[in-house]
Amino acid sequence: MKFRSITRRISILLAATALLLGIPVATAFASSATSGTGWIRLAHLSPNTPAVDVYLYSFGNSNAQIVLHHVAYGTVSPYEAVQAGDYSVAMRGAGASATSQPVLSTSVTVKAGKAYTVAGMGPKSGLRLQVLDDDLTTPTGKGEVRVIQASLKQQTVKVTCGGQTIVPKVTFGNTSSYTAIPPGTWTMAAIASNTTAKDVVPVAAGTVHTLVVLDGSNGLELQSLEDAAGAGQPPVGGAGTGFGGTAGHGPGSPLPWAALIGAGLLVAVGGGLRLRRNGLRRQMNTGV
Amino acid sequence: MKLNRRPAAIVFAAGLAVVIGGTAGLLLTRHSTPAMRPVAAGVGALPAPTGPIVAPPQSAQPKPVASPVGLTIPLIGVSTNLITLGLAQGGAIQVPGSTTVAGWYNGSPRPGAIGSAIIIGHIDSVSGPGVFYRLTELHRGDDVYVKRADGTTAEFRVTGTQEYLKDHFPTQTVYGPVPDAELRLITCGGAFDAATGHYLSNIVVYATEVK
Repeated sequence: MKFRSITRRISILLAATALLLGIPVATAFASSATSGTGWIRLAHLSPNTPAVDVYLYSFGNSNAQIVLHHVAYGTVSPYEAVQAGDYSVAMRGAGASATSQPVLSTSVTVKAGKAYTVAGMGPKSGLRLQVLDDDLTTPTGKGEVRVIQASLKQQTVKVTCGGQTIVPKVTFGNTSSYTAIPPGTWTMAAIASNTTAKDVVPVAAGTVHTLVVLDGSNGLELQSLEDAAGAGQPPVGGAGTGFGGTAGHGPGSPLPWAALIGAGLLVAVGGGLRLRRNGLRRQMNTGV
Repeated sequence: MKLNRRPAAIVFAAGLAVVIGGTAGLLLTRHSTPAMRPVAAGVGALPAPTGPIVAPPQSAQPKPVASPVGLTIPLIGVSTNLITLGLAQGGAIQVPGSTTVAGWYNGSPRPGAIGSAIIIGHIDSVSGPGVFYRLTELHRGDDVYVKRADGTTAEFRVTGTQEYLKDHFPTQTVYGPVPDAELRLITCGGAFDAATGHYLSNIVVYATEVK
């Protein structure tokens, strides 16, 4: 009887101790930083397609998470942070009922820490939604530029940066790969057979840019977007931001406390066992 | 018999007392400061909006942003000027000369512009707490304000806190490009190596601008 109650007491103590030891370890840094979210932006880059409403749905949820109304040709939305997971993007004519059949839809899987552009591309007759993977890395000390060719009037363009060709040829409805660019303020030019569009683009190290070649009212138009930015010259390693003046005062290692608790448990178990032995001896002595 | 039972009971009770004292000590050193922590509003709303949001249908153009001059984090009592930091010899990030002032790394985007803005502060001096002593008390949803030279203030909300060993510092995650306006607050943490006079880890608090 007594022995059982003692062992029960000890096991409760052990469990409580484990709980107390376990909780601080598990909650100290339970929140996760960037993990869990990625970014998505939506674009209308089909020259002869009228304005559309663009809907973003979390997969399996019929309530739209993002709705962009009356998105006209040449529009690229800002990035929105969304939980990683599967989404679908639907385009409807501007002003169409949210429950009407979409003109176009596609699915996109957003991974944590990654960015995507979902763009309506091509001519109206062959309109499709493309999912572009957007780069979030740059070579050390450099920026990056890519080109989305969304001009129907000029099927093929060449793109130069400061007079140097960075994209020799990109055709309508397509996207170039990224090119590394030294930091500086550059004149970017989209050059077609008989027309050229220019834009002055400041490119800092650690920044990622997209140039969108559009049909303007008169010839080509060049739209430059700064997609992402980081430290151009990433510091080496971490930061030396402490001198230890509070190192002894902070919540140090739980090990000394654990050792103390363990020692206490041993003593208590020892005492408990002796109690039990004494109890048994008493029972034998009284002949029960 | 009675004489024998009593010492055993005393030993048992003493053992129990040590266990209780030990757990109390452990608890007190774990949960000393955050006891008065208010519940942050809108925590659940971050970062994905619950209802449909309607963004203006215009292309994103980088807005000009003034230099950061001040940092306020009400929850942990931080209110400091921001100095400008560069890189030290060897390419490591410069740290403020004073342990009571934080600094913005001028090789990173300005707070409120697109990208990951870096702010550094000391956890302590040789004798006491520094400006970022209580940085680990920040959690998802807590507010951080950066004052800028033109008088404007950018408001950020904490999305998470991480501790990294300096030997395995994830440079790309912390300093790499991101497509929205973010902030990283960096200080020291983890174990202190008395032999080298350095902490072995860095604490990084991640925050995103509230628009």
